Amino acid sequence: MPISITFRYRGTIVGKYIIRRLLQIIPVLFIISFIVFCLVYVAGDPVALMLPEDASQEDILQLRESLGLNEPFYIQYFNYMVGLIQLDFGESFRYNTSALPIVLERLQATIELAVAAMIVAIIIAIPLGIWSATKKNSAIDVVATGGAVIWKAMPNFWLGIMLILIFSVMLGWFPVSGRGTWSHLILPAITLGTGIAAEMTRFIRSSMLEIMNQDYVRTARSKGLKEFFVIHKHAFRNALIPVVTITALQTSTVVGGTLITESVFSWPGLGQLLIQAVNTRDMAIVQASVFIIAFIVIAMNLLADILYKLLDPRITFR
Amino acid sequence: MSRESLLEVRDLKTYFYTEDGVIPSVDGVSFTIKKGETVAVVGESGSGKSVTSLSIMGLLDTAGKIESGTILFEGSEVTTLSKKERRKLRGNEMAMIFQEPLTSLNPLFTVGNQISEAIRIHQKVNKKEAKKRSIEILKKVGIARAEKVFHSYPHLLSGGMRQRVMIAIALSCNPKLLIADEPTTALDVTIQAQILHLMKELIKDKQTSILFITHDLGVVAEMADQVIVMYAGQVVEYTDVFTLFKEAAHPYTTSLLASTPKIHEQTETLQVIEGTVPNPNDMPSGCRFHTRCPNVMEKCMNNEPVLTNIHAHHQVKCWLYEEEV
Ligand SMILES: Nc1ncnc2c1ncn2[C@@H]1O[C@H](COP(=O)(O)OP(=O)(O)O)[C@@H](O)[C@H]1O
Ligand code: SF4
Ligand SMILES: [Mg+2]
Repeated sequence: MPISITFRYRGTIVGKYIIRRLLQIIPVLFIISFIVFCLVYVAGDPVALMLPEDASQEDILQLRESLGLNEPFYIQYFNYMVGLIQLDFGESFRYNTSALPIVLERLQATIELAVAAMIVAIIIAIPLGIWSATKKNSAIDVVATGGAVIWKAMPNFWLGIMLILIFSVMLGWFPVSGRGTWSHLILPAITLGTGIAAEMTRFIRSSMLEIMNQDYVRTARSKGLKEFFVIHKHAFRNALIPVVTITALQTSTVVGGTLITESVFSWPGLGQLLIQAVNTRDMAIVQASVFIIAFIVIAMNLLADILYKLLDPRITFR
Repeated sequence: MSRESLLEVRDLKTYFYTEDGVIPSVDGVSFTIKKGETVAVVGESGSGKSVTSLSIMGLLDTAGKIESGTILFEGSEVTTLSKKERRKLRGNEMAMIFQEPLTSLNPLFTVGNQISEAIRIHQKVNKKEAKKRSIEILKKVGIARAEKVFHSYPHLLSGGMRQRVMIAIALSCNPKLLIADEPTTALDVTIQAQILHLMKELIKDKQTSILFITHDLGVVAEMADQVIVMYAGQVVEYTDVFTLFKEAAHPYTTSLLASTPKIHEQTETLQVIEGTVPNPNDMPSGCRFHTRCPNVMEKCMNNEPVLTNIHAHHQVKCWLYEEEV
């Protein structure tokens, strides 16, 4: 990154702020890792699933011993933490390799989907939200607002299946599932993206409605500025601030939506991996995935915070 | 008194169409502003002063409609202009400053950006030239370290400073008409005096006319040539500033004068006008002031007086000065 630690923005050192916030993440990650460990501990013994059905009692005991599962709770936790600090979540018995690289590889696919969905959401929500706010109670507003409510109520998996039925099965325009080309990406991105757009449109609309009544919008008009610039320069920039915050705080919802969308479209992402891992009790993968997801949610909150401060000069990096 | 008129408002009616019905906020207002003249509009809050000025500027929000009447600016009608033609006047020929300096500047753009923008809307100049002019005008409105303020965001400035910036924006294109809607109401007394002084200085050598809206008769005495007294959306008295303070005729005006603290007097016996401004969607019949008037008569209740000349250049809307119907 070309941005140095001493990068200054409006007179404050942004790099220092970011580093301090990153350091604050560490205790949170510890707590999360403890919770994840407890969940796995309570979930019980994976050994039965790891061995063939006709394995002897001897074999089972031996495997338990070698996995350290006979140790008391605190020793197991200690071993787990020692691994974690080295970013070692243990070996996946299904893939027979270290868990983290597998998770990170799947993460790429998930990020690809999430970014595409965000682009879809932004392309739809910004114009629609602005439009319905500035033409309040017009036909466009009624359709957009009503549509957003309906769309939001529509479950991701149902929308995904409908899109597959229409555009893949009936029309044959897009592949039914999988990842690889652009055309693989389109339906899952629309499924996930329109869901996000529905929520975002409503935020942008209500934020814009509030901002359009502000005194500085009237000032902009009193200068003789064209309405297009009044709306897009003076009002929208202000309306964006709460929208950015709310959107980033919604990351966990988006992650949830991604998991569902991935399984509908057999998208080889983190969600699919996690669901499989839970079903097969591949605990190394479960732990690594949950940990990474938690990290992403926290990182997005941090990003929201930074964006918020960059967008609003009244807030300083302190 | 033979100066050319700049703005002529004739029988202006501005109504708001709300869910609770039609609100006649401005109901038949007429006045004239001559070139270089300062006309004050006084009246309690809610009497339609702001709506009058927003009607002139073409800044009413969508619920507000000019029902009837004419607004002539340099002799030509502005209410029928297209949006585009109207926009060309706004900020250029007529400009406005508002009551709330703290919220009237956009918090996300620098002071410089907001002044330069005003300049570049109406004048074909490049960024550099706009910056130069912005800094000049910042100096003119009495801002020391203009260069620094140019790059500042509004939240770093005090209320008085922000109002100076608003004045800079309003005067950046040398408008012929400046509308100031209670520009000092939100400021404390010393800052208020500075801002009033500044406004007088700035227009002294130019031919700028001012429509000065206030509810403070002290400010009127300071600033105005002509005075319009508004009550419940109507003009009740209209005369020059000397006549107003010497021989105010309308009972509302005299009550206002009695309730204005005089600087050299004890203020303990300050009178207040009893009651409140009537609700515009439930106007009293007859004279709208009759519910509060100390001189109310029988006929005031059901018959509306008309604005009549009691002397040359002195109009009053009151039965005390009119012959029987
Ligand atoms: N946007 C609006 N919608 C509905 N009514 C309004 C609006 N603006 C002003 N009014 C009404 O018009 C009347 C006059 O308001 P205004 O001109 O702001 O008074 P003043 O500036 O003299 O205090 C008030 O009764 C107010 O309720
Ligand atoms: S008309 Fe009657 S009520 Fe109205 S101001 Fe005159 S005296 Fe008072
Ligand atoms: Mg007002």
